[in-house]
Amino acid sequence: MGFSDSDIQALWLTVRLSSVVTVILLLVGTPIAWWLARTGSRWKGPLGAVVALPLVLPPSVLGFYLLLAMGPHGPVGWLTTGLGIGPLPFTFWGLVLASVFYSLPFMVQPLQNSFESIGPQPLQVAASLGASPLDVFFSVVVPLARPGFITASIMTFAHTVGEFGVVLMIGGNIPGVTRVASVQIYDHVEALDYAQAHRLSAVLLIFSFLVLLALYTRRPDRQKG
Amino acid sequence: MDLQLQLRKQQGEFLLDLDLKVSGERIGIFGPSGSGKSTLVACLAGLRHPDSGSILLDGRPLFDHTSRINQPPHQRRIALVFQQHGLFPHLNVRKNLLYGHQRCPAEERRIELEEVAEVLEIRDLLEQKPETLSGGQSQRVALGRAILASPRLLLMDEPLSALDDDLRYRIIPYLNLVSVRFRIPFLFISHSLVEMRLMAEQVAVLDKGRLTGVVTPEELAQQRMAYSQSGYINLLELGVPQEHRGLLAFPWNGQQLLLSGGNCPEAGMFELSSKDIILCKRHPDAISARNLLPCMVRSLFEAGSKTGIELDCGGNRLVAEIAPDTVQELQITSGCTVWAAIKASAFRRL
Repeated sequence: MGFSDSDIQALWLTVRLSSVVTVILLLVGTPIAWWLARTGSRWKGPLGAVVALPLVLPPSVLGFYLLLAMGPHGPVGWLTTGLGIGPLPFTFWGLVLASVFYSLPFMVQPLQNSFESIGPQPLQVAASLGASPLDVFFSVVVPLARPGFITASIMTFAHTVGEFGVVLMIGGNIPGVTRVASVQIYDHVEALDYAQAHRLSAVLLIFSFLVLLALYTRRPDRQKG
Repeated sequence: MDLQLQLRKQQGEFLLDLDLKVSGERIGIFGPSGSGKSTLVACLAGLRHPDSGSILLDGRPLFDHTSRINQPPHQRRIALVFQQHGLFPHLNVRKNLLYGHQRCPAEERRIELEEVAEVLEIRDLLEQKPETLSGGQSQRVALGRAILASPRLLLMDEPLSALDDDLRYRIIPYLNLVSVRFRIPFLFISHSLVEMRLMAEQVAVLDKGRLTGVVTPEELAQQRMAYSQSGYINLLELGVPQEHRGLLAFPWNGQQLLLSGGNCPEAGMFELSSKDIILCKRHPDAISARNLLPCMVRSLFEAGSKTGIELDCGGNRLVAEIAPDTVQELQITSGCTVWAAIKASAFRRL
C-alpha cells in the first residue's frame, strides 16, 4: 500500500486511542445513560444538555477549556501533578481524557434511547420475581439494550477515530504519542504530499463507510417480545 | 391470605386513601378507570412509596410509614402479572419460567417447572422464544413464571384485558386452578364484572381512590345491575348440545336450553342478561321465544329503579329484572310460580 512507518504508527495510535476511549466510555457512559433514562429529577435536563454539548461546540472551544483545566494551573492539572502523574496536555492520556469528553454524547445518547425503549414493565416484573436492582440491570437491561451498546460503541469508536480539533489543542503533534491519523493527514497536506494524504484519507474514508454500513444494515432491534 | 392495608398516596390531583382488610385465597379489586386500582398494585408490589400508612401481608409488614419499614420489591415475594405478559424476549420459555425460581431462596421453593408446565399445558413450548407464542400461550407462560417464584401473593393487574374474549375465558380456569393446586393466593385487578364472578371469592370495590365496600361477587353483580346497561349477567355452564330443528339443544343441569344454530356445538360457559328474560304469570299460549321455563321465585331484591327476581328453574338459578310496578301488577312474590321466556339468540358464549 505504500504507507510510511509514521503513517502506520499514526494509524496504530488512532486505533489504540479509540479502543481505550470506547472502553472507558462504556464504563462511564452506561451509568450516566441509565440515570438519564430512568430519572424524573429536575437535573435531567441540565445534565442531558452538558452531555450533548460536544455535538454543537467547536472542537477548538472544548479543546481550549480542557487545555486550561489540564494545565498546571487548572484543577485537573493540579490534581494530576499532586498525584505525581504530572500535567496531562501533550500526553496520550491527556488525549484519552479529552476524547472521553468529546465522544461522550456518542456513547450516552444511543444507550439512553435504548434504555428508555425497554420501558418500566420488564424491570418491575423482574424485581417482583426476586431480582435485585443490580441483578435486573445485568439479567434484563443489558441483554435487551444490546443493540444500543453495539451502536454506541461503534459510534464512539468511529467518532474518536475522526477527531482532529481537540487532538491538536490537547495533544499537539508528537509522533507515537499524540499524532493520530487525522493529524498525520494534515501534516501530509501541509507538506504537499498529496499521495500519502490520499492513502491515509482513503483508509479513514473506507473505515467510516464500513462503520455506517454496519449500523444501517444491522437487523432491526427486537427488544420487545 | 390476610391483607391489611391502610395507606394514602397523592399523585397530582388524585388521592388514593384506603383502609382495607381482606382475607381469602382469591381476592378481586374492582373499579372503573381512575379509581386507583393500578396505584394500589404499585404500592403493594413496592413500586411506589405510599405517603403514609401501612401494608401487612399475613401479619408481616411490607410497609410501615411510622416504623420506616419499606421492603424493596425483590424482597416482598409478590409476583406480578400484567395485562401485557412482559416475557423477557431474550430468554426462551424455559429460562423465562425459571427466572424467579432461580432467585427464590432454596428453602422457600416448593413448585417445580415440570409440574407447572403440565398444569398450564406449556410443556411443548419450553424451548421456544416468546415472540413465537400466541397471546394465550404468552399469558400462561407469564403466569407460570410468577408461580415458579413461589410467591406469597400473586398480584395480577388486568391480566386478561389484552386478550380477546375467547382466550380470556380459556385462561380463567388456569388462574383458578393454580390458586388451588399450588396454594398461592392471588389478588387481581379488573373492571370486568364477569371476571370477578368467575375468579374472586371476595371483591374490594374502589371508586375515586376510596374503598366503597368489600362484597361477594354475587352481591357486586346485584349492586351493579342498577347501573349496568346489560343488567345482571347470568352465567350458565351448558353441556354438549344436540341439533334440534335448526337450533342447538344444550343440557343445563337436568334441563334443556335452545340456542341459535350459529353457536359452536361444544359445551361451555354462556352469559345471559337479566334484561333478556321475560316473566309471565301464566303459561303463554303462543310465544316466539324458544325457551319457556317454569320457575319458582326465590327472592326479590331492589337494584336502583329496578327489581331483581331470583328464580329457581328446576334447581338452576337465574336472575331476571323487571320494573317495580310490574312486580305489583303481576303480584310476584317469593315462592310464587312464573314462566321465564328466553329467546334462543339471547345467549352469548364466553
